[in-house]
Order: sequence, then structure tokens, then C-alpha cells
Amino acid sequence: MSALELVDIRKRYGNIETLKGIDLSLADGEFLVLLGSSGCGKSTLLNIIAGLAEATGGDVRIGDRSVTGIHPKNRDIAMVFQSYALYPNMSVARNIGFGLEMRKVSEADRNVAVQKTARILQIENLLARKPSELSGGQRQRVAIGRALVRDPQIFLFDEPLSNLDAKLRMEMRTELKRLHQMLGTTIVYVTHDQIEAMTLATRIAVMRDGQIEQLAAPDEIYNRPATRYVASFVGSPPMNMLDSTFSDGFAHIDGTLSSIPLPAHLHKAAAEARNITVGVRPEGLTLAQVGVTNFGIDAKIEVVELTGPELVVTATIGTQRLTASLPPRSQVTVGAMQRFAIDPDALHVFDKLTEKRI
Amino acid sequence: MTNNWITTRAWLLMLPLLVVMIAVIGWPLIDTIRLSFTDAKLVGTQGSFVGLDNYVKVLSGSNFQRSLLTTFWFAVLSVSAEMVIGVLAALLLNQRFYGRSVLRALMILPWALPTVVNATLWRLIYNPEYGALNALLVQIGMLDSYRSWLGEPGTALASLILADCWKNFPLVALIALAALQAVPRDITAASMVDGAGVWSRFRFVTLPYLAGPLMVALVLRTIEAFKVFDIIWVMTRGGPANSTRTLSILVYQEAFSFQRAGSGASLALIVTLLVTVLAVAYAALIRKTAGAS
Repeated sequence: MSALELVDIRKRYGNIETLKGIDLSLADGEFLVLLGSSGCGKSTLLNIIAGLAEATGGDVRIGDRSVTGIHPKNRDIAMVFQSYALYPNMSVARNIGFGLEMRKVSEADRNVAVQKTARILQIENLLARKPSELSGGQRQRVAIGRALVRDPQIFLFDEPLSNLDAKLRMEMRTELKRLHQMLGTTIVYVTHDQIEAMTLATRIAVMRDGQIEQLAAPDEIYNRPATRYVASFVGSPPMNMLDSTFSDGFAHIDGTLSSIPLPAHLHKAAAEARNITVGVRPEGLTLAQVGVTNFGIDAKIEVVELTGPELVVTATIGTQRLTASLPPRSQVTVGAMQRFAIDPDALHVFDKLTEKRI
Repeated sequence: MTNNWITTRAWLLMLPLLVVMIAVIGWPLIDTIRLSFTDAKLVGTQGSFVGLDNYVKVLSGSNFQRSLLTTFWFAVLSVSAEMVIGVLAALLLNQRFYGRSVLRALMILPWALPTVVNATLWRLIYNPEYGALNALLVQIGMLDSYRSWLGEPGTALASLILADCWKNFPLVALIALAALQAVPRDITAASMVDGAGVWSRFRFVTLPYLAGPLMVALVLRTIEAFKVFDIIWVMTRGGPANSTRTLSILVYQEAFSFQRAGSGASLALIVTLLVTVLAVAYAALIRKTAGAS
């Protein structure tokens, strides 16, 4: 039995189709992250699952029951909002218990449930306060508590951490992961933050223009991106994309004399595409040893930034840009030409026209 | 610059305003207080000092008590109806539907009309011979024959209240609508997911956002309703049989129709005192609500 199933979900506003047929199926206990830049339709999709927006077509099934046309309150879901959406006039305890109150749970049972939830989230000392007396992180905990207390089939999170500062965001991220491991809940989580997606998800759906570009585990999204878009969206600094032409087993980087040997199993497809994009993650580049013959590409060093654990080097090759993440003590000179070696296993090759992985 | 100079300059800058205020509010007020202790007439005699006679007479007289009651009913009924209708209208106009902005603009119209125009319009509607209300009620069979709505003591006050509501509910609706638009979308969505029905959502989620602004509307409207004069003067002049004679009408009659400046002044001061008490009580209430949220 799947916890959530989306069948050909479509959404249209006037002439603009914001969701173009979304299909996915979620197993019990999965943590699915909908990842994409703003306007890709991820929040609309979440609202459709919640019942806060109506799909123009398709079906939403929660626990093998179609919930299309069913009011949010009867869908057995709970939702955490980016703005926390706490009721300002109610105490923290009442905020958490409000869903139970509306479902006619007796006050005694409600108190037990609220106490238990507060203990899990370590906010027992805040129960008597009003939301206005809480910090951002505390409000976020209360918002999560309000969802948790109801023990629904599915939790929906709409960019829950984006209003927090960087340090708190990391803490809450870990907290969410801990909660998911502890409670084994099924979660659909919307974010534009690829780090959140990579760290939290059991599966990531990368969305673009109302479609799912790739649906896979974080490891696969990172190491085998299905499209050029996914490859450039996930990873920081982003993957280098070198427009090239394929011939004789080599990708010749456009506008330069540099070329990269491609693994043999890619030759046939690369030859068919001819115009290809070669992707290399910044950590897939190393400084080539002088005097040792190896294939490499020559680039002019433009900017060197030390982030602490690594040295981020920005260089130009022809008219294209190249970023490399090197060990912090690497010897590079701004303005000089530098040869970079490429780990052939770290290559990602995309058809330039279709942007699909070869 | 010394603090002294800043203070002096502030007073100097306010001086023109203070002079004007003393001339048009302060002096008349003091003179009214003086008048209220005399038996002065509007024309002729300056009057002589009679102590608290005017106050005793006014407060013990049946005219004042009856007018106070009329004013009370007018204020309570019209203001509460305006609040309810105003909030309902705001809830409706807060929904998404075609033509919403046109309706929002149209709604303000009655409130934007001068009271005299509004009162005249309603006199035509209530007209016993060719009024629209009579025609409507007779044609749909709710009434056998035309009635004189403003001419019968039993219906005159209610008719006035209806006219006043029509004019003033838009103010409440406008304030409520502004407050409704300040309710975050996420909070409404959260309450839907939490399982709140339409009524619970209004009661627990929307109303707290409306409470503050509505309190302001309530204060404004109650004080205005307590002082009501123009709409009644145009429509009934306090009649028939004094059934719509509110305190302001009574003051006017006493001071200008009967030309008893002395007792008119004492009545006016009593009304002023009542309104001040209302204003202070509401101000305290508003401070309390503001402190709570």
C-alpha cells in the first residue's frame, strides 16, 4: 500500500499550465522532498495534496483512498507552513491542541497529547506562552508540534526552514531528520534549498516548469543527474557545464584546443548527439602534475577563494567558466594558465539539444 | 539649544491653534456652563443666577428621561445592526468573485452621501402616498394598505434606525474588510487543515483579527449615534408624539424652539458628559484590547 499516490495531476491558471501531469507514488515512512526554484509548481502541488488548491485534472490518493474533492480536514494530513501560521491569540498549548479541539477530542485526552508532543519537541516550558513571545525557532517547533499531535497519515512541509537564520536552519534540519527517524512518519517537503533536500530526503523530486525532472534518491540525484538542469541545480558550487563537440572519442571543448577523452561506453550516444555538454563537479577537478602526461584542460585562473575546508578556484576556458574545489593549500596563481586533470568517472555527459543524460 | 528653548518654541508654535481652540471651543463651553446656572432666554433677558435649578428640573423631568431612553434604543439598535451587517458584508466582499471591486466601490456610496441627502431619500422611500416601501410591501402582499411609516409612533424610530443603518454599515464593513485582508492566508489554510469549520474558523481565527478594528468602529459609531441629530431632524423633527426625540433634538428644542437658553445649556452639558463617559470607557477598553494582543 502506498501512503500517497499522485496520478497525472494537472493545474491550469487561465492559459498557463503550472503543473503538467505529475505522477508519483510514495511508500509509508518515506521522506519526499519536492525541490525546485520558485515558480516550478512545487508549492502548488503541495497545496493540491493538502486540498487547499484544486487540481484541474488528475487524482490524489492518500492511503489508497481518493481524496479529490475532499476537504483538507478530512484528508488525514497535517501541514507546516513557511510563516508558521500560528494562531496569534492562542497559547502555545492551545495552538498545538487546536486540531484535536476541532475534532472534538476531550480536554483530558487533548492535554495528554499536547504534553507528549511538547516533550518530543522540548517545548514543555513554552506551553503557556503566546506565539508573539517566542523566537523564530521556537515558533517553528510549535508549528511542527501542531502537525505532530494529530498523528496524520502524511505530513506536508512548505519551506518550513526558510524564515530561520542559517545556524538555526541547520539545527532544525537535524531536528527534523531526528523526528523522522524516531517517528517513521511519511513526509512531503517543499524546498528550494538543495542542501535541505540532499540531507533530509529519502527521495527527491526535482521539479521544473510544472514537471518532475527527476525522481530518485539523493545519492542518485547527485551522482547520476538525469538532465542538465538537475545536474546544475543540485550541488554547490554548481557543476561545470562545458559545451563541446564529440568526435573520435573526445569531447572537444567549444572555442578551445582542449579536449576530454570520454569513456568508451558513451561514444555511440555521444556521436549521435554530436553537440554535447560535458559536466564536471568542481570536486572532480584536480591540479595536473607538471611533467606527467595526462589529459587535462587548460584554463586561466581568475579568482581564488578560500572557504576554509577548500579552495574554490574560478577560471576561464575559452569563453566558458570553470570552477574547481581544491585542497586548501593548493598552489595556484591568479592570472596564470593552469592545467586541470579530470577524473573520468566524474564526467556527466548530456545531449546539448535534449539536455538529457547520455 | 537648551531644553527650555525647545519647550518655549513648541508652545509658541502651538499658540495660534490654542488661541483658535479657546475662541471656538473653550469660551463657548465656559459660557454654556455659565448659562446653565441661569434662567436666560435666547432673546431678551440675560437671566439671573438660579443655581442648580435647571439641572434638577431637567433630570427629574419626564422629557429628559424619555429622550435618554429613545437615544439609548436608537444607539444600541442601529449600532449593533450596523456591526452585524457590516461584518457580514465584509466577509462577503472578501470572497473572490466576479465584480467584487465594483461592489466594494458601490458599497461606500451610502456612507459617502451627505446625511441630509440620505435622510431625504429615505423620506421619499417611506412616503405614505407614493413611497417605494409601501409599494413594494403591498405588491408582494406583505401589507394590505399604505402606511405612514414616519407618521406613526410605533414605526417611526424603527424606520429611522433602518435609514441610519443603510447609511452607516459601509463604514463598519470598510473597517472590517481592511482587517480581514490582514488575516494571513496561511493561518486560514492552517485552520482548514486543523479541521475548523466555517463557524469555528470565524470565531477562533478570523474574529481575533477583527476585534481591535471593530472596537474602534464600535466606539466611533456609538458616540455618533448618541449625538444623532441631522438624520432625525430632516426625517421626523423628533415626532410623531416625540417618539423619535433623542437628546440632541431635545436640546435643540429646549434652547432654540422654546428659547430657554438656560435649561437648554444644562441639557447640552449633561449630553456632553454622557458622551465623554462613553468615550473614556471605550478608550480604556481599546487600550486593554491593544495590550492583550
